[in-house]
Amino acid sequence: MPAPFPFDPQAVVDAKSVGRPVRAGVETKRTICGSCDIACSVVTEVEKGRVVRVRSSDNPIFRDNICMKGIIAPKGFAHPNRILHPLKRVGERGSGKWEQVTWEEAMADIGARLKKIIADHGPEAWAVSTSQWNTATDHGLGRRIMNHIGSPNWISGVALCAGNTAAVNRLSYGWFPMGDFTNTKCIVLMGHNPRRHSWTPIYNYIRSAQARGAKLIVMDPRRSSNAERADIWLPLKVGSDAAMMFGWLKVIIDEELYDKEFVADWTLGFEELKVRVNEYPLERVAKLTGCDPEMIAKAARLYATEGPSIIPWTPITDMQRNSTSGIRLQSILRAICGYLDVPGGETLQGFNPDIINETELEMHHVLSEAQKAKQLGSDAHPAFTYRAQGQLREATKRVYGQEYANIVMGCYMATPSATFRAMAGEGPYPVKAFFFLGNNPLMSYANMPLIKKAMMNQDLIVTHEQYMTPSAQLADYVLPGDSWLERPWIMDSFSWSSVVRFAEKSMEPPGECKSTFEFWKLIAGALDRPEIVPWNTLEDLYDYRVARTGRTFAEIVKETDVYFKTPEFRSYRKNGFATPSGKVELKSSVLENLGFDPLPYFREDPPADPDFPLLMFTGVREDGFFQTAHRHIPEMRARHPEPEFFLNEATAREVGVAEGDWAYVENSLGKIKAKVAIKDSMPLGLVRVPHGWWKPEMEQGIETLSGAYDYADAQLCRDDEEFLDREQGIPHLKGIPCRVSKVGEESASAVENPEMEPAE
Amino acid sequence: MSNVSKSDRARPDAERKREQRKKERRAKLMIWIARRSSRNRSFIDRLCRRLIEKASTRPPEKDFMRDELIDNDLGFDPDELDRYQRGEQARAS
Repeated sequence: MPAPFPFDPQAVVDAKSVGRPVRAGVETKRTICGSCDIACSVVTEVEKGRVVRVRSSDNPIFRDNICMKGIIAPKGFAHPNRILHPLKRVGERGSGKWEQVTWEEAMADIGARLKKIIADHGPEAWAVSTSQWNTATDHGLGRRIMNHIGSPNWISGVALCAGNTAAVNRLSYGWFPMGDFTNTKCIVLMGHNPRRHSWTPIYNYIRSAQARGAKLIVMDPRRSSNAERADIWLPLKVGSDAAMMFGWLKVIIDEELYDKEFVADWTLGFEELKVRVNEYPLERVAKLTGCDPEMIAKAARLYATEGPSIIPWTPITDMQRNSTSGIRLQSILRAICGYLDVPGGETLQGFNPDIINETELEMHHVLSEAQKAKQLGSDAHPAFTYRAQGQLREATKRVYGQEYANIVMGCYMATPSATFRAMAGEGPYPVKAFFFLGNNPLMSYANMPLIKKAMMNQDLIVTHEQYMTPSAQLADYVLPGDSWLERPWIMDSFSWSSVVRFAEKSMEPPGECKSTFEFWKLIAGALDRPEIVPWNTLEDLYDYRVARTGRTFAEIVKETDVYFKTPEFRSYRKNGFATPSGKVELKSSVLENLGFDPLPYFREDPPADPDFPLLMFTGVREDGFFQTAHRHIPEMRARHPEPEFFLNEATAREVGVAEGDWAYVENSLGKIKAKVAIKDSMPLGLVRVPHGWWKPEMEQGIETLSGAYDYADAQLCRDDEEFLDREQGIPHLKGIPCRVSKVGEESASAVENPEMEPAE
Repeated sequence: MSNVSKSDRARPDAERKREQRKKERRAKLMIWIARRSSRNRSFIDRLCRRLIEKASTRPPEKDFMRDELIDNDLGFDPDELDRYQRGEQARAS
């Protein structure tokens, strides 16, 4: 997620009042870090045409928003294994053998093959997986080309991380709110655990808020570092977040702690909600969550009476079988407590009127209704597809001035699992061409065996990448991508907020690396549709996007750290909320129209499986890495040389493993191995599985996939119906049944223990 | 209204609304100061920047942002990075 509110006097607490002398021959550039998804404003120091240092911004608003991943970037992108030239597969798919070709040769062949696939199977036979967190200069151009060509099958990791949150939030009040950390009096972290080197600005905001007296409530099965600092820690059972929120609502409604005026004037379905909430007395909630009822009530009271409070975005409720209900319950709490669009609460910012937004560039209106109806997964799990989100078009136009609002890219996506099934030949129609950009799909979605089968069944696979990831190893073409040091950028938080920031290009890309803008421009040309991307250069596109400001991009990037419209609190009083009713829909008309329960509910775990007596969760990132990236950087690997499972001591003893042992975690889908780390902060019976592990130094090709078969958690992530959220079709990653067993001596690792305690 | 504390609830409605309006005005002023601070071109901009710095500076013993890895970072040598990229040595520092 991007930095939520860049203007935050309280968030600049680091106050390292040192001068910033620059050596002779060193030039500085103001830019935005892209080493993870948080997008910190930073400064680069450039010497002899190279970035030699990344440091935090000189602007006090952003000061100290920097972490180890940003600092190491100059070396990470100078790694000798970086792909610098276009590569074409030699031999069978997954052979691990490549020949260097020119961009012209690659594009001529890709264009011819993609056109043939479209002619043979229809435009919907082309799927793309990416997200702009990683590619930056996409700016919706991929969607724009797909919309013109006729394919609705765009998928992304944001389907289970922030994008889906945005889409589900829209069902309740039409936009995805952003917490006002600066003025809030109470922050609720639902399993989310921002740290000094992970989600750094959020960590800063939370610590600053606490320093000025704001309360912190943490729901987390683990005793995380934020749990240790919280006013109230609810150590709930993994995956029971939605049940916990029902408990809160029960207290808040029974004790009449909600905002009666707002509920009466601006919500629909409160009486029906009350009936549903009454199904969750605190005794039942205590049983479902494993938490003390008194503590549940205390937390609910704190949230409702200490406000304005915020429930910042959390990935935890994005990845559960109750995801839609969980996200909706968060929305309902915000609304009935009167925290929507007030200072210190949850702001509904809308688009920045002066900057052409990415949704506008995507041109969703040119994709026909017939093609939209073909979007994979929209029949069974429509929540973030055109089928559900399309119902908000009129309301979005009324409030935000345009019919489509693709907030965080997550509002018009195909469902990943359904797309991979179609690619594997198990869908309603064939998908035979697959592009992925800055994305490692084999390891980024649930059910890696299915994804591998899907990729092996393709006629054309193209990737735009920096390194030879396991997924890239299965491609026909690997085209070299630039890095955030090597391109300018306009960062508008993907329409989440009206805050826009600008980044200067710090250095030229090495070799033949190109930006995502250039990639898509070449693809449009290769499809004989160059008019779809009419701008000659990225800077031309940026001039077009900022034209309403009366300045050019070159002017604005030199002069402006932050560009935003002044927030107008309670803006819903003008045009209502962007829902069909114009009110906050506690009972969702969109879900009701689609045949789903319009109120939130809680699906309990399936009956325990004696073969898999433990529960695991995954999706947690380690400080030195972002998702599946950065394992090639020596300094980062020194901190986390091997993947580690976390268990508490009693659980470890029960399954016969000890600190430092290699162990397997296994379930009905697959098996991976890692080292055991004993943590007293872990609850009994729960295993933390590290996310996104592979080893770039290991052999490439389909037989080994650089260690992905050994370590990738996606092999344990089930996507059968019991483990999918009903409305969205996203997988349940927080409480998957599993077992742990010790690995034999032959698989033991010779690598020494980590230098630093691994992240939580 | 629940977006006010319990003690606030005891106060009359008009007073609470006044207080709320005050908070909104304060928030807007803060945003204005931040905007000017961000611009950093005129004397007023720089004054705003100084104000924010002053308001937000913490004594070192209370500064949770101190981090050795970041404080001690000196960056890289460009020639060494070149050699590293060419695979001529294992590490650049």
